[in-house]
Amino acid sequence: MTLYLINLVLALVWVVVTGSFTLINLVFGFILGACALYLIREQVGGAGYMQRGFLITKLLLFFLLELMKSAWRVAILVLKPKMNLKPGIFAYHLRADRDFEITLLANMITLTPGTLSVDVSEDRSTLYVHAIDCSDPEGNRRDIATGFERMILEAFR
Amino acid sequence: MIEEYAKLFYEYAVDFGLVLLGLSFLLTTVRIIIGPTLPDRVLGLDMLTSVSIGFIALIGINTGFTLYVDIAIALGLVGFLATTAFSRFILARGQSGDEDSLESLPFRDPQGKSSHGTRGEWGR
Amino acid sequence: MTAFYHIVEGLLIVGGSLFIALAALGLVRLPDLYTRMHSASKAGSVGASLLLLGLAINSESLPETLRAIAAIVFFLLTAPISAHLLAKASYTVGYNLWPGSVLDEMSRSKPTPGASVAESRSQQEFYTGKALEPAWRREKRIAPPKWSDLRKK
Repeated sequence: MTLYLINLVLALVWVVVTGSFTLINLVFGFILGACALYLIREQVGGAGYMQRGFLITKLLLFFLLELMKSAWRVAILVLKPKMNLKPGIFAYHLRADRDFEITLLANMITLTPGTLSVDVSEDRSTLYVHAIDCSDPEGNRRDIATGFERMILEAFR
Repeated sequence: MIEEYAKLFYEYAVDFGLVLLGLSFLLTTVRIIIGPTLPDRVLGLDMLTSVSIGFIALIGINTGFTLYVDIAIALGLVGFLATTAFSRFILARGQSGDEDSLESLPFRDPQGKSSHGTRGEWGR
Repeated sequence: MTAFYHIVEGLLIVGGSLFIALAALGLVRLPDLYTRMHSASKAGSVGASLLLLGLAINSESLPETLRAIAAIVFFLLTAPISAHLLAKASYTVGYNLWPGSVLDEMSRSKPTPGASVAESRSQQEFYTGKALEPAWRREKRIAPPKWSDLRKK
């Protein structure tokens, strides 16, 4: 957290020094600050910070890609003249246990191909997911476990 | 040369988008009207908010009047709150009125001597 | 350079409005509430986000671009939450899945209160089988809460 603030201050200093307050310049300054912090990561103990930033960025990019794919698949499904639907609700046992992680996972599941989170059980151990193609619930579970849940746990643990 | 073609493409794209968005307004309204149950209609209203946000963004692009972004944000907030409130309402209301009789509606007393309206009033 | 901007904006407009139109078409064509929700929450939000992205690219000043991007983030955060809440509410109250659905593990975990042993065995048999009988759940629907109970909470 402190390193993040230092990084932000470095970005602001870059903006002030170069004298042009635009969004692009701010982002560029932030990246430059991150590079500078990367050089001294051993001294300030920032290896974890760098890796976490990298993992969060990876999660975000993966999410955007999946979002586009899901919209595309819904569009294809709707356009087919004969819809071959096998919808159903399957239960998914959560490994994430913090509220924040469960919320993030449920939101991301809703916005990814063919799945929509319906409910969380009372003890917060099971997530009920509605899938538009539920002919292979094991495969769906595996997709979530090796996709989003693993990345969320890597990024926030 | 290529500038002119790009501009032409852009103008056609705006027209095409307006036509498609109008069509989706129409389809969503069809779902709201025929939707057999209350959640279907609520979902239709939610979708109507998304279509409106897209429409506002397109109008903002077309006219260059970017104050429309604020309206889009406010509309998104109101739509989200409306769907949340409707979900609470569905939870509180139960399934009555869609395919059941209205015996379990909270506004009716068990004897059936209703003082607040009739089946027709609460049914739809 | 303006030609490039015009082409990118045109593509974003066409893509966004196509996604929204297909979401609306799906809303009409798909068979039940839960499958319709897929269409509305995914294709609808992606379409609106693409149009807002076009607006962000179109506007020259920084505050407007930032506001459009904030609108996209906000929209992508709230759309799944409202879909989730609506699905949860309608499932809890007892709106059935489409009869063609192949699996419902949610009702297995929540056995209906008051069901006898024989009934619960037939429940097991039922879920090991393939078909879903919509009339089955219609018989044992959860009773809607009363106003007085809600006030107590």
